Amino acid sequence: MTEFSPGLEGVVAAETAVSEVDGANGRLIYRGGYLIEDLSPVVSYEEAAYLLWHGELPDRAQLDSLRKQMAAARHLNSAARGALLALDPQTEPMDVLRTVVSAQGASKSFTKPTLEEAVALTAIFPTIVGAAYRRRLGKEIIEPRDDLDHAANLLWMLEGTEPAAERVGWVGTYLVLLADHGLNASTFAARVVASTGSDLASAIVGAIGALKGPAHGGATLAARNMLDKIGSAANAEKWLTESHARHERFSGFGHRVYRTYDPRATILRELAKSAAPEMHRTAARTEEIALTILHEAHPERPNATNVDFWASVVLTGAGVPKEMFTCVFGTSRVAGWTAHVLEALSDLRIIRPASRWTGPEPGRKPLQLAKR
Amino acid sequence: MTSAYVPGLEGIVAAQTAISMVDGENGRLVYRGYVIADLAEQMSFEEVAYLLWHGNLPSHAELDALTIELGGSRSLTPAATAALNALPTDTDPMDVLRSVVSVQGVEHKLAKPTVALAVHATGSFPTILAAFHRRQLGLEPVKPRADLTHAANYLYMLNGKESSPELVRALDTYLVLLADHGMNASTFTARVIASTESDLASCLVGAIGALKGPAHGGAPSAVMDQLEQIGTAENAERWLRAARKEKVRFMGFGHRIYRTYDPRARILKDMCKRLNPKFYDLASKVEETALAILHEEHPERPQATNVEFYSAGVLQAIGLPTEYFPPTFAVARAAGWTAHVLEQSAHNRIIRPQSEYVGPEPHKPVPLAERG
Repeated sequence: MTEFSPGLEGVVAAETAVSEVDGANGRLIYRGGYLIEDLSPVVSYEEAAYLLWHGELPDRAQLDSLRKQMAAARHLNSAARGALLALDPQTEPMDVLRTVVSAQGASKSFTKPTLEEAVALTAIFPTIVGAAYRRRLGKEIIEPRDDLDHAANLLWMLEGTEPAAERVGWVGTYLVLLADHGLNASTFAARVVASTGSDLASAIVGAIGALKGPAHGGATLAARNMLDKIGSAANAEKWLTESHARHERFSGFGHRVYRTYDPRATILRELAKSAAPEMHRTAARTEEIALTILHEAHPERPNATNVDFWASVVLTGAGVPKEMFTCVFGTSRVAGWTAHVLEALSDLRIIRPASRWTGPEPGRKPLQLAKR
Repeated sequence: MTSAYVPGLEGIVAAQTAISMVDGENGRLVYRGYVIADLAEQMSFEEVAYLLWHGNLPSHAELDALTIELGGSRSLTPAATAALNALPTDTDPMDVLRSVVSVQGVEHKLAKPTVALAVHATGSFPTILAAFHRRQLGLEPVKPRADLTHAANYLYMLNGKESSPELVRALDTYLVLLADHGMNASTFTARVIASTESDLASCLVGAIGALKGPAHGGAPSAVMDQLEQIGTAENAERWLRAARKEKVRFMGFGHRIYRTYDPRARILKDMCKRLNPKFYDLASKVEETALAILHEEHPERPQATNVEFYSAGVLQAIGLPTEYFPPTFAVARAAGWTAHVLEQSAHNRIIRPQSEYVGPEPHKPVPLAERG
């Protein structure tokens, strides 16, 4: 037996060709061997998803066929619609997503995950996210449009008006950047569920549950909330200094894997200049001060800005409501989750680690209730 | 420092726990210091759930308080009832459980997991299953009764009448035996999700999804099917030898951890003998023959009957339909899952292992227009 490594830090739990986080060199590699900075300017979310599923970029005909398949799969089935309408409109959006995906994937007989299911589950996310948001506002649910792509459909179903191409571009880039990221906690959760031979919906529902955690997918909203509190570039130094004095953690900084700047943060930071110029100024000043404070406190630690920090600015600029940030993260990551599940199927082995016993010495005799 | 990849994380310590210990070498299962055989036949599910949650067996007063609390946690929320009724009646009960637990849990929002929430969630599992079973039969749901124990109330809600004390005791023993089992895949899933600081419902739906896998809890019907095909004790040897020639797996045998007999299987076997003699006559002959054949093939491997084999006979005697075997496993394991979530949450570090990249080295993507 090995030494216990809390959080399985440094423990290799899977072999994968879906993506690689090269933390030492600040590189994120997507399947096929593409660096994220090379990929994001040239591919749509659909192309990135195709890449993660198939290992190569689609040609025109393959992409058209995928788009058609996704368009056909953007409608909720009756169980999912029933589950959606059963929920109080003010239900936390991630709980709506978790529940409706579970209902959409409920079936009478057990099926092994397939690529077709992966496409369909990925396609349904914007529909659920849009519906959850519209119900929150007490507005009618907007049906998906077959002529819009994935990113545009997301904004369309949130707002009910056709979004400007520029905003679709920002959301599209965000969706490409976040689509996969090695064995993060939600992807790992999906792979553990899949390792028992379970179905795709079960794996994805587990992943949604993990993404909901503030230490994982909830971090984008936390970064936005911090920037909201700071309010302006002029207030950044005062706010951060006081916050640090109270031993609070800065949201949007630090990552277990990257030892240098997160390449996704670099791209989003640049994008934020046009997507949210005012907020970009606040965020840039906040980043500068925060990194200085963190470096002074822990010169030995790499205190890199993480993707959540700049993602919160870009999503804000693109007009995504902040209460939907985590769901939109899931809308992106579902391509990676499903790709990992499909990859794991080729050599399925149950993930069943060991644990170290820290309880009392075994063998004590229980007292009968009457004697307790 | 990164360790070498171990498939399935076999032997890798992923957590420290004081909840249960699977001592595979000696064929022992220990709950909080008590050997399972000392708990199984005298303790109620409530006492053992209390033990798993708190670390000690309850006093009379503590048990009474828990009984009242559980009794008060048996009603479904209106949203959960509506979602349950929206699922088609031929839905796999595991999918029903996954979806409705997701709805029942939305009230938790992002509350930090507590024992009260654990009790609340555990209390609702039998109600969900019984309500759906009644619906499948075209019958009205039976309202839970707070004056019955967890096991007795489950059977009462399923059947609309109280079961004999003997069957209630049998179900209680089953629930106690299956309540926890170290770092199995579903429990580990729950802990991975909890490690992101997500909520209890998210952990539970992930765990249910993992339990659904045939390699974990999802295949007791496979045991029944195989026994049915064998038909009679006289036919066992001939059938099993012929099956082996065609590389058919024997269902109900083998476990990664137990090197000797699974202590739970031994207890369940005795119960089968008493409660389900017809099943026992066939099953014990099949067991004897299967173990002999497996030993001939691999004398070096420990071959053990696993818990699913005799569980099938016990649950059949209790009167559960086969498709309710896996979710009844979940009714038991809910106690362990929630206890592990509480433990994880008290000593948390996000579970984010490494992966080993096995894809191609980085190269540039070709834009769509040039891909043909």
